[in-house]
Amino acid sequence: MDNQNIITLDNVRKTFRDFWLRPTVAAVDGLTISVRKGEVFGLLGPNGSGKSTTIKMILGLLSPSAGEVKLFGLSPRSIEARRRLGYLPELSYLHPFLTASETLRYYAGLCGLSRKEAASRTKELLEMVGLSDVASRSVGGFSKGMARRVALAASLIGRPELLILDEPTSGLDPISTKEVKTLVKALAAGGMTVLMTSHLLADAQDVCDRVTIVNHGKAVAEGEVSRLETSLEEFFLAKVGDVKDFRLAPFLGVSEKIR
Amino acid sequence: MKAFFSIFRLEFASLVRSFTLPLLAGAAVAWMFAVPQVITGDGTLDGAREVYLRYGLGGVFALTLVSLLASASGSFARERSEKRLQLTLVRPVRYQLLFLAKCAALTTAGAIVLALACLASLSVPGENAERVCYHVLRPSLPSPREEARAMYDAYMKDPDTPEEVKKASRSTVMRLLEFRAVDHYQTISTNMVAVWRIDFSSVGKEPLSAEKGVPPAVRLRLSNMQDLREDVAGYLAIGSLRASVSNQTQAVLTFPLSPSSSASESNRNDVLSFTNLGDKPLMLRPRKDVALLVPAGVYAFNLFRAWCELVSMLALILSFGLFLSSALGRPVALFSAIVILAVSEASPSVVSQYPDELETKLSDRIALTVTRFMAEVTRPVSSLNPLERLSLDECVEAREVCRVALMNIFLLPLVFAFISSFVLPRKQDEA
Repeated sequence: MDNQNIITLDNVRKTFRDFWLRPTVAAVDGLTISVRKGEVFGLLGPNGSGKSTTIKMILGLLSPSAGEVKLFGLSPRSIEARRRLGYLPELSYLHPFLTASETLRYYAGLCGLSRKEAASRTKELLEMVGLSDVASRSVGGFSKGMARRVALAASLIGRPELLILDEPTSGLDPISTKEVKTLVKALAAGGMTVLMTSHLLADAQDVCDRVTIVNHGKAVAEGEVSRLETSLEEFFLAKVGDVKDFRLAPFLGVSEKIR
Repeated sequence: MKAFFSIFRLEFASLVRSFTLPLLAGAAVAWMFAVPQVITGDGTLDGAREVYLRYGLGGVFALTLVSLLASASGSFARERSEKRLQLTLVRPVRYQLLFLAKCAALTTAGAIVLALACLASLSVPGENAERVCYHVLRPSLPSPREEARAMYDAYMKDPDTPEEVKKASRSTVMRLLEFRAVDHYQTISTNMVAVWRIDFSSVGKEPLSAEKGVPPAVRLRLSNMQDLREDVAGYLAIGSLRASVSNQTQAVLTFPLSPSSSASESNRNDVLSFTNLGDKPLMLRPRKDVALLVPAGVYAFNLFRAWCELVSMLALILSFGLFLSSALGRPVALFSAIVILAVSEASPSVVSQYPDELETKLSDRIALTVTRFMAEVTRPVSSLNPLERLSLDECVEAREVCRVALMNIFLLPLVFAFISSFVLPRKQDEA
């Protein structure tokens, strides 16, 4: 595998500030990550650990308070970096009045595809995500799973070199989840670099080559999944806390034994 | 450019499929047909026509402006709050292009609504598409600023000048004198001739020839400072054309010029003269009360030029709404846009009614300074009045249309787009 870094985060910090510019939350605190070409990289962590903030900085949607973020060795806000990028957000955020086909053609236009190329790519991707039959239906009427498939197809429309997936299996049924995982593996096998976040550690274990676990904005562990001696879930819990931190049980009267 | 057209199509489709554009177009056409039944004029055909154009097209313009301004000032803000904007911002699209495409789609929608209203206006009886409109040529005089500069020293040395004015700053006194210069009266004694040079450089060849049987004319406002009507007798002449002036009834009169054998050979083609044959001296403000009207084509073309000017005003205001939307939340952007629009409408009249800063109260001076600043920065829109000119049969000059279109449709939105391109990604920090 080529060891060229596609994403580089060097001691990145992100502190959110209030109206008076007083610091409120240090969402990311000195994070250093590098994602190599062709690998599937998992960014894991509990809720509020700084995963989404990190992804937004990689996408150029947020600027770091300190440190440096590079995408293909470029600023994430540069046109060239954005041309080589595909992004699937945690929720689909589609324009409800557009049809599935129009949605893909819209994003194809934004990626600079010609009309002919956009039409063939749209057809190909709709077939890939199994939505050819509903191509001319407004996405506003789609189920969460169908909307997710459209969003996934939209993220792939510009033939990106790097695909960033924020909770890609969120809202999908088990069959669709398996299909997405197979797709991610196939894309990686084809040379695409994938960065994904997931709460579903089993999913991450299935597809990721390498993971970084973040907690309170800091990287607490990093390593190759194949070298783990335990399951990813056990490794994760060991790094970010265990079931003793689950504080709801006493309120529900759950016995120590069950816990 | 593919990205530009993609965003343009999306924004336009959103206006169509949310029924904003169809409803607006329907309301505009219905209003144009309803106005003659709803609002009546002064009983004359010209009065009815003025009411129809001002309230009909003016109403449609106001409705279109407010509706599309609401869309514009919510555009980025709504997409940002619904997290849709981030999906566009991560694509290889220049942020300026994103701004301009949205602006173009909103302006196109507005242009369609206004075009339908203009077409509807042509189908209403009384609106003759073949009606002739006029270039309005005022006497060539030094600008009010030049006249004020010339008057300054003498005015400050004049013992009658109030002490508080003498203590005021030069810029304040100059502004005062400029306002006076606009209203500068010229006295024409009995049997005396007043002459004014007319600059025809903005008009085509043979400006004094008739068009479609309609001759050039002179419009005089015959009222004095107390707004009492003057009793006037005399004649107007320019080149070989002449018109008798006699009035006891109306304040503003148009006198058609006709060829006359008695016209003096020495009359120049670029000098308009008025000979006062009345009993009393006549007072006129040449800058405001005298206008040579030269035929300038038919109403239909004038309507087209007025439409272009309205669209350019719309483009500028919508781009400003979009700009606010890129930096502010939806309610704040909409509120700010409407307040600024209202202030820009009101500020010129406030400034003209309170022309100087000789107020003793600090609060008055601050308010006037702010109002004057607002009047100045909103001049690209507030100085345009195509509907008033249309209703008075005055030509909306093609040269001016090109100038405002360049400024309002291209240059100023480009400036807003450029600033927005810095604001848009940074605003995500707060989203």
